[in-house]
Amino acid sequence: MHKKLPVLLLTSVFVVATCGLIYELIAGTLASYLLGDSVTQFSTIIGLYLFSMGIGSWISKYFEKDILFWFIQIEILVGLVGGTSSSILYLVFESAASFRIILYSLVGITGILVGLEIPLLMRILKDRYEFKDLVSKVFTFDYIGALLASIVFPLLLIPYLGLIKTSYLFGILNVAVALIVCLNFHKEIKRASYLKIASIVSLLVLLAGFVLADVITKYSESLGYNDTVIYSKSTNYQRIVLTKKGKVLRLYLNSNLQFSSDDEYRYHEALVHPGLSAIPGAKKVLVMGGGDGLAVREILKYPGVNQISLVDLDPGMTNLFKSNPMLTELNKSSLLSPKVKVINADAFSWIRSQNEKYDFIIIDFPDPSNYSVGKLYSNSFYRLVRSILSEDGMIVVQSTSPFVAPKSFWSVNKTLESVGFFTTPYHNYVPSFGDWGYIMAATKPGYKVPEHFPEEVKFLTKEGIAQMLYFPKDMQKQDAEVNKLNNQVLVKYFEQEWGSVSYQ
Amino acid sequence: MGFNRKGFLLRSALVMGGIFLNGCVRKLSGRNEKYRHIKGHLKGPDEKAGHMLRDKIVIAEPSYSKKVKTLIIGAGISGLSAGRWLKKQGMADFEILELEDHAGGNAHSEGNTVSSYPWGAHYITIANNDDELLIDFLKENGVITHFENGLPFYNEFYLCFDPEERLLIKGQWQEGLIPKFGISQQDQEQIDKFFALCNQLKYAKGEDGKYAFNIPLDASSEDKRYRDLDQMSFKDYLVKAGYNSAYLLWYLNYCCKDDYGQQIKDVSAWAGLNYFAGHKGTAANAESGAVLTWPEGNGFLVNKLKSYLKPHIRTSVMATSVVSNKDHVEVDVFDMLKNQTYTILAEQVIIACPQFVNKRILKNTDRNLFDYDQLNYAPWMVANITLTDFPASGLQTLSWDNVPYGAPSVGYVYSGHQQVDHGKQAKVITFYLPLCDREPRVSRLAAYSRSYDQWLDMIIPELEYMHPEITPLIESVDVWVWGHGMISPSVNYIWGEDRKKARSSVAGQIFFAHTDLSGISLFEEGFHQGINAAKSLLEVNR
Ligand SMILES: Cc1cc2nc3c(=O)[nH]c(=O)nc-3n(C[C@H](O)[C@H](O)[C@H](O)COP(=O)(O)OP(=O)(O)OC[C@H]3O[C@@H](n4cnc5c(N)ncnc54)[C@H](O)[C@@H]3O)c2cc1C
Repeated sequence: MHKKLPVLLLTSVFVVATCGLIYELIAGTLASYLLGDSVTQFSTIIGLYLFSMGIGSWISKYFEKDILFWFIQIEILVGLVGGTSSSILYLVFESAASFRIILYSLVGITGILVGLEIPLLMRILKDRYEFKDLVSKVFTFDYIGALLASIVFPLLLIPYLGLIKTSYLFGILNVAVALIVCLNFHKEIKRASYLKIASIVSLLVLLAGFVLADVITKYSESLGYNDTVIYSKSTNYQRIVLTKKGKVLRLYLNSNLQFSSDDEYRYHEALVHPGLSAIPGAKKVLVMGGGDGLAVREILKYPGVNQISLVDLDPGMTNLFKSNPMLTELNKSSLLSPKVKVINADAFSWIRSQNEKYDFIIIDFPDPSNYSVGKLYSNSFYRLVRSILSEDGMIVVQSTSPFVAPKSFWSVNKTLESVGFFTTPYHNYVPSFGDWGYIMAATKPGYKVPEHFPEEVKFLTKEGIAQMLYFPKDMQKQDAEVNKLNNQVLVKYFEQEWGSVSYQ
Repeated sequence: MGFNRKGFLLRSALVMGGIFLNGCVRKLSGRNEKYRHIKGHLKGPDEKAGHMLRDKIVIAEPSYSKKVKTLIIGAGISGLSAGRWLKKQGMADFEILELEDHAGGNAHSEGNTVSSYPWGAHYITIANNDDELLIDFLKENGVITHFENGLPFYNEFYLCFDPEERLLIKGQWQEGLIPKFGISQQDQEQIDKFFALCNQLKYAKGEDGKYAFNIPLDASSEDKRYRDLDQMSFKDYLVKAGYNSAYLLWYLNYCCKDDYGQQIKDVSAWAGLNYFAGHKGTAANAESGAVLTWPEGNGFLVNKLKSYLKPHIRTSVMATSVVSNKDHVEVDVFDMLKNQTYTILAEQVIIACPQFVNKRILKNTDRNLFDYDQLNYAPWMVANITLTDFPASGLQTLSWDNVPYGAPSVGYVYSGHQQVDHGKQAKVITFYLPLCDREPRVSRLAAYSRSYDQWLDMIIPELEYMHPEITPLIESVDVWVWGHGMISPSVNYIWGEDRKKARSSVAGQIFFAHTDLSGISLFEEGFHQGINAAKSLLEVNR
């Protein structure tokens, strides 16, 4: 046998160990990004991984002949599976139901293959070392590799390469080891040329992945997200992107921030309670837009409300907020409540065919940044809303920032007034949005600040509302035109006012 | 005349020879690679009917006859409006014959899975406030919902949504169609001056106290001062008045192409000015001059008119001959589906067909003699184009009407614009090309000889000019050729003798209604043509 063999093989123990641990870390990190709750995710993945390695070691006894051949073969396989695993997980995440199965299968397979490697290696080396030497050498390299992996992973790999590239890189290292061993010992291995070709092809595949990963990363960077993108999907209507940094989740629709999980309660409490708490007998509530279920979560704090209809255009959105564990934790599974009926329809078309009345109507559409959304802020739309509002009912409209976009805000106010509503504009501070505005409207004048709010509220108080109703000098009411389908002034105001501000 | 005819033949031969040669080259070189994915058809008014009328194909003897008190021939806007009026006056025994398999004429519309779309007429302007008949019709059909301070309040779903119009000029899309991006001070001054004039003409009145310009045009003043403007071309008028700004002239030329299918040199000054001064409607909730439109264009109004007339309309039935006898009118009709001829004996008939058809079908009838050749019809090509997507960014988005400066077409209209919902990714746009570079007869023959691919050669480059890289997004292009699209208000037609003669009825039995008898092809004119004919008919009965 070749003299170089032991040295080479021991180096490969080192690489194999590093790669193995890296795959495990990648799977754990990805799972906690995507599924949330890192403690559970990491411990289940580590557990499963170790268990699979055990299975691998156990299987190793069934390999009797051509052990070097099998070692190289397995090395290539580990490289392939481990290298592509994070891309696969990213890609299949959107079909949420099967995600866990695929995640655990990948972890399992990688674990079994890695578990096979060390016993096989030890058997290849067993004739060259004393048993005690062998064990100590192999395990030393194994543990050094593991240490190295656990240090470089958080400090170098994730910040500089990102998850996807890291896994391709280690896949490449894995296969490279296979190729080198194969080239050096081709005389001693059966079917060396097959192994050579297999490893070269695998190397090319992984290399391509590495390069393409760059494209994907660049793309998500070009969207301007500072945080890690953990979910992104283009539905028929919009691009939904979820990011995570630390504990904070942020949702972007077409690159516009919709909420940030650390302060969204300020927005949603302000949107819902000043109005709903002022209608003691409210039973039926309608929410338009707001497919994230966060406004619905607030409404569910009123036991008297027994029917909530949520109209949101995009099933992609409501399904995500019904099924993703991180998101259902945030909205308290509100969309799954038996009181809630989710209707995926265009709000304008839907409302034209309605005649049932509602006691409280929440209008939580995206900002009027284009003409198709602008229609949902028009007098024609509000007239239809009025026609389905019960006599003592009230509506509330999210109306962009009265600080940044005063003309837009007061145009919404004027438009509501133009169809016969009595309005109550107010605003509050939401750190990730800035000073944000809402307008309540009713068919009768005389809004009274409610005495009580549901116990669970974190932000709202009676005194707080008094402040919210007050518009300081720099946000005073401005003259603005009524927004109509045939003038769409709001979209123009909005463009002027937000155009000069760099978008969140 | 003889010389004129020879010249015409020569010009036609040259143009068609060119198209034929180009067609041969196309056949040899194969279909343009870039268009290969595009589906679609060449369409147009029923060809068989056209042949039957033109080529005098021998038509079988009538196999039976039946009696109908009143017969209307033609179910375009004019014929339908006549029918609606008869119905409103309590008449029950009447039929409306239409040779196509649908009513609507030039206001016909269709649809696909993406959207409805027009094949011809696609909008009307808000009604003039003294046009009570039209206002009543719009009120009956929910287009006007109520009145505020005496002004009509138009249904907001029918008023054209914003953004309404945009113009591609100097590589930029600007809002509105009157050129303003990058034009000089002098140009701007001329534009302002012209519109100041129009504003003044809008409310100018003749000696008889009537508006100088109006719609329907027969309601306008007889004052010679204004009517004499019909005797010169719009172009000559403008030159004489010192207008020479290329941008203003382009815009006015565009307007005449858009509404009359002709250039300023080929329409009368009276017609040209009426475009700007005739519409003076005001509304409680829209600006003066605002337009009403629907995804299916004026197909919407066709359906409203049809709703009064369900049991009376017979489609796929063509009148082939109309003979006036002492006690009745004998009308031979051909059932296009059953291939069968029969005779209808009617007491009175309203013919709501264009006069070039009437010339063929009126037999042994001493209609007040006039020169049919004085009626020029502008040919049009309309294409409905389905796009899988229309990339838009921010406010740079589709408007209802999208026009390229200086191009042969008058741009395209986006049918989905009037939808309130979020809208699909796929879209249909309707592309309008008036064929007015040559005299109508030559353009018409040329249009009839073009193949589908040759039409694509005219449509796609213009679309690409407006929206580079759009070709791969085109799923289908359906092309419709209107040989006789609309009457042209040529010099001396509107207030000339021929139009007057052509309008007079025959022996209290046969009445005429068609936009070609008013001289400008607008829904409002057809609407009144129909009512006027119906009124004269009822008058005789009384
Ligand atoms: C491309 C294009 C765009 C236009 N855009 C507009 C617009 O935006 N707004 C607008 O107001 N106007 C527009 N117009 C003008 C439009 O033509 C008129 O508004 C109106 O529809 C004309 O109606 P009509 O009844 O006078 O004529 P037609 O529509 O010509 O009606 C005549 C009818 O008679 C039928 N007919 C003919 N011969 C016979 C026969 N022998 N037997 C039985 N039936 C027969 C025909 O099939 C037809 O249905 C447009 C026209 C074109 C071509």
